[in-house]
Amino acid sequence: MTTPARQERFQTLLDEHKKILYKVCNSYCRSRGDREDLAQEIIVQLWRSFESFDARCRFSTWMYRIALNVAISFYRRESTRTRLVLSETEQILNVADERATTSPEVDALYEFIGGLDVLSKALMLLYLDGHSYLEIADVLGISESNVATKISRMKQTMRREVNPPAQV
Amino acid sequence: MMIDLDEMKQTWAHQDRKLDESLRMNRQLLNGTVLNKTRTAMQRMTLWLGIEGFVWFMIVVWIGSFVYEHIGVRLLAVSAIALDLYAIAMLAATLRQIVAARQIDYADIVSGIQRQLENLRILRIRITLGALLGGTVVWAPAMIVACKAFLGLDVNNTTWLWANNLFGLALIPLGLWLSKKYGDHTGGSPYLRRLMKDISGHNLNVAFASLTKLADFEKEERR
Repeated sequence: MTTPARQERFQTLLDEHKKILYKVCNSYCRSRGDREDLAQEIIVQLWRSFESFDARCRFSTWMYRIALNVAISFYRRESTRTRLVLSETEQILNVADERATTSPEVDALYEFIGGLDVLSKALMLLYLDGHSYLEIADVLGISESNVATKISRMKQTMRREVNPPAQV
Repeated sequence: MMIDLDEMKQTWAHQDRKLDESLRMNRQLLNGTVLNKTRTAMQRMTLWLGIEGFVWFMIVVWIGSFVYEHIGVRLLAVSAIALDLYAIAMLAATLRQIVAARQIDYADIVSGIQRQLENLRILRIRITLGALLGGTVVWAPAMIVACKAFLGLDVNNTTWLWANNLFGLALIPLGLWLSKKYGDHTGGSPYLRRLMKDISGHNLNVAFASLTKLADFEKEERR
């Protein structure tokens, strides 16, 4: 495949899966500037790795692996990063109607995800996105039963926090 | 207030549908800059390491020729050999980092890549500490070689040599004290801040803590 054709194919796939980019950036960064930096970093890494992408694999799983790996290292590198300063028109991802896509529930959801550690964030994102335990295990590199246990623990913790047992 | 994960999943799916309608990707920006000009942090790091490696290689070659020219003068030859060994060690350490960085494939499983990244971070910090520690030891030989090479001066004064060695050694506790005291107050320079945190041991502790968290995450839990 020639470079322009490959670039076109990459852009089409990226466009189809741009929501992954949006969700990962929103879960790992609070400020708009950081989200934009992270989005660019992920896209560049995706493009660099695209040559070795095996078309037999699911693009979303492959994209999630790269996006999460970049996001986790980006998060840890926070103090040594060189910030990019971009104007509103220089954003890779634009939400046409911001008010329509956000709600107190969605904000609370991102708030909850934001409070998790970097690895649990990744697990939570994949779970909420409807991936099977096997797919989550495949992305994160842990066993399927471990994924099931962690999800079950998260459910229990949430229930306990909302309905704490009455003190005797 | 959302009460459980299943409810959260519904909210997530609802937002997903809204995003389908309103999320747009700026293809012009993607084509114009992101895909063609921007480098990833890892690429930038590898590029800097490449430049660093080249500089160390040139130093090794230059000191090698200095040794050859002054092999008859014991003090100069010994000093230059010590300095050359230091430069060779630094070159090897830089090459090791380049190899480790190039082995990282971001499309691999998250836990594996994060472990590789943390190990690379630990390697970088140890090399930085080793370089600084070694630098204080080769400080005096470096002065002897530099005085001869750039000023044509022969340094044979024993007191001067001892004073320089002691000065080099005194820099170790001073550096540790300064990094611990002012590590978080180094102004806007992220590189200086990182160096200070490397010296104080803060970054090494953070890297080891991340590895422990990773191991805990991978550990099979009982339901």
